[in-house]
Amino acid sequence: MAEQAQRRAFEAQAQEKPTDNNHAFEELRHLIVAPEQEGIAAIQDRLENLEKRTQDVSSVVAEAIQMRREKGDDLALADALAPTIQETLRESVRRDPHVLADALFPVMGPAIRKSITETLRGMLESFNEALEHSLSWRGIQWRIESFRTGKSFAEIVMMHSLLYRVEQVFLIHRETGLVLNHVVAPSAPAQDADMVAGLLSAIQQFARDSFQSGKTENLGNMTFDELQIRVVSGPNAVIAAAIRGHAPETYNLAMQETLEEVQRLYSSALVNFKGDPGPFRPAESQIARLLETQYREKPADRKRPRAAIITGAVAAAVVIGWFAYSTYLLVEWSRFLSELRKQPGIVVVSYTQNGRTFHVQGFRDPLAEDPKKLVSQAGLDPDRADLQLAPYYSLDDAIVARRATALLHPPAGVTLTAKDGELIPEGSAPQNWIAQLEEKAPWIAGVSKLDESHLQNSTLQQLNTLKSTLESIVLLFPLGRAELDAGQEANLTKAAKNIRDLVAQAAPLHQIVTVDLVGHTDITGVEAANLPLSRERADQIRAALLRNGVKSASVLPRGVGTSQPLHDESTEEGRRLNRSVTFKLTLSPLPAAEIAGAAPVN
Amino acid sequence: MLQKKVCMLGSFSVGKSSLVRRLVESMFDEQYHTTIGVKVDKKVVNTGGEDLTLVLWDIYGEDVFQKMRMSYLRGMHGYILVADGTRRQTLEDALALNERVVAEVGKVPALLALNKSDLTDQWEIDPAREAQLTAAGWTLEHTSAKTGDAVEKAFLHLAQAMLAK
Repeated sequence: MAEQAQRRAFEAQAQEKPTDNNHAFEELRHLIVAPEQEGIAAIQDRLENLEKRTQDVSSVVAEAIQMRREKGDDLALADALAPTIQETLRESVRRDPHVLADALFPVMGPAIRKSITETLRGMLESFNEALEHSLSWRGIQWRIESFRTGKSFAEIVMMHSLLYRVEQVFLIHRETGLVLNHVVAPSAPAQDADMVAGLLSAIQQFARDSFQSGKTENLGNMTFDELQIRVVSGPNAVIAAAIRGHAPETYNLAMQETLEEVQRLYSSALVNFKGDPGPFRPAESQIARLLETQYREKPADRKRPRAAIITGAVAAAVVIGWFAYSTYLLVEWSRFLSELRKQPGIVVVSYTQNGRTFHVQGFRDPLAEDPKKLVSQAGLDPDRADLQLAPYYSLDDAIVARRATALLHPPAGVTLTAKDGELIPEGSAPQNWIAQLEEKAPWIAGVSKLDESHLQNSTLQQLNTLKSTLESIVLLFPLGRAELDAGQEANLTKAAKNIRDLVAQAAPLHQIVTVDLVGHTDITGVEAANLPLSRERADQIRAALLRNGVKSASVLPRGVGTSQPLHDESTEEGRRLNRSVTFKLTLSPLPAAEIAGAAPVN
Repeated sequence: MLQKKVCMLGSFSVGKSSLVRRLVESMFDEQYHTTIGVKVDKKVVNTGGEDLTLVLWDIYGEDVFQKMRMSYLRGMHGYILVADGTRRQTLEDALALNERVVAEVGKVPALLALNKSDLTDQWEIDPAREAQLTAAGWTLEHTSAKTGDAVEKAFLHLAQAMLAK
């Protein structure tokens, strides 16, 4: 201050004496004001120099924006920046869409997923509701109610199944009652929002005026039957929600919070509202959150379909299982029946099924297979089989053979088969069994013929064996003599036994055994002497045989001399073998008259 | 779409409701009038190629039994003052009402509708009075709710005035 006063004094003096002290004054002036002048020049330079000015602004631009925002007037700044930012984004997308797409990707993905999930959930819920209500008894009741009241079925369903549903939310400018934003739940009935909002405001004011309530008090709820209007008011905005049903009190809190958020976000737009709802379009995201829907919880009902499905599945499984088991049984029984029908000696006339028991009617030969055993073999329960098989005589070949076997007791090695009524024994049997066979066979049921071509008579075979053994025996004599050679006794004994056996074996065959004892001599000596010698030799053997138990009737001695030589006489050995007695056996049938009374020999 | 709150003001039976009914879409019953004293309707007008929604607050006419609720006027962007051209008194009453409206909500665009213009032989308002009102700054329209004359025009006029403001 003192400096300034001093300067003014100097300047006043200088003006009084301009000419005298001009130079000195200039000098003095320079000395005094030069620093300020330089300062002003520097400031001027900073203002005019674009580069420097840019530098200055750049250092404070962030802080300036920050300060502006703190003042709360962010809408103006947003308005100012919006076109530039939009243009920048557009340009960025035009140059390279990937940059922005990449940047937004983490945001877009969840947002899209959430949106899809919500949409699907909504669809499923309404689908479930519709399904649940369309066919139930309750559904029919509701249809009647719909018919009675004239309301749509959907409305009736909604009324009964919803705990509450927020159908519409209005964001209203408090002063004018004009709609700033309005959201409607899908498929909810919606009236003209402008008029509704207007009237709501009017009603609010009417209530306020009529009941002399304070300026700050507001009508919170209006209820009409099932419809409730809830209103929360802020300084500049009102949120009204049209709710069908009964929303909990906490819903008001959500409304209040939303209102506060809207008031905060759009404070200046609300104050400066001139009827343009444009700036409030984004508020839809806030008020749409209030569109809640809460269905009646029906845990029992929700479980019922699952329980029904399980019960149904079990029932179906039981039915299918029972059906499959029955079919299986039927198949098994059919298989058993066809097996049974193939059985010889069993005739199936009819069969019926009663529950799980099978009744079979028919005939069975006592010699046929045990049918109960067949049931067990087929894997079926014999207790479930009621087999009513009457006994009969089967003429089936197998049964005839079985019957013949039972009656004839064939000896080991003999089998009996039957074919078309003909009994065919096979094997080797003794004569007495064959006799029994021939006697009994015609009496056996089902046997009309006997085929013995495959049956050997073992008695006859033995007879033949004995015969050939006997005929191979040669009893030797010394030269010119009728007594046996020493050592021939064993052969004699053997021959005697053989003849005895032959007689015994031939008896059941009704054969008479005749043994010719043929006496031979060698050619030594004269024929007149040889012939009697040969006869003598035969007689000697006969006597010996008779001594050994052979009946006289069976042996006929004769001499043939040299007429039937057994061997060539040119050698001594040949001549020795011709001095002998040999056996010749003849079997002749017993005369029929003697058969009846024939007593067994021995 | 830009919206404006417009009030219909005037004495009982001057034809406010008839004017509104003439051209608006309506969803509320007439009985709102007698119960809460106002009926809200809507009219979309096109001015200068731009659609404008007029939310019309048809306020129940004043009479000796019922005063108008001033609170209904809050936030209105304009109003139509309706008088019955065949009854001079209704014009004076309307102008008196207007004084109270201006005192309550301040100056906003307004239009004076002299209704029942079809009844020319019973017309009671002389041209001198009309000239006086025009000079005082009133926009005047001779409307007829019966024939529909100038009804659309009146609302359009007000709409333009509100947009110009």
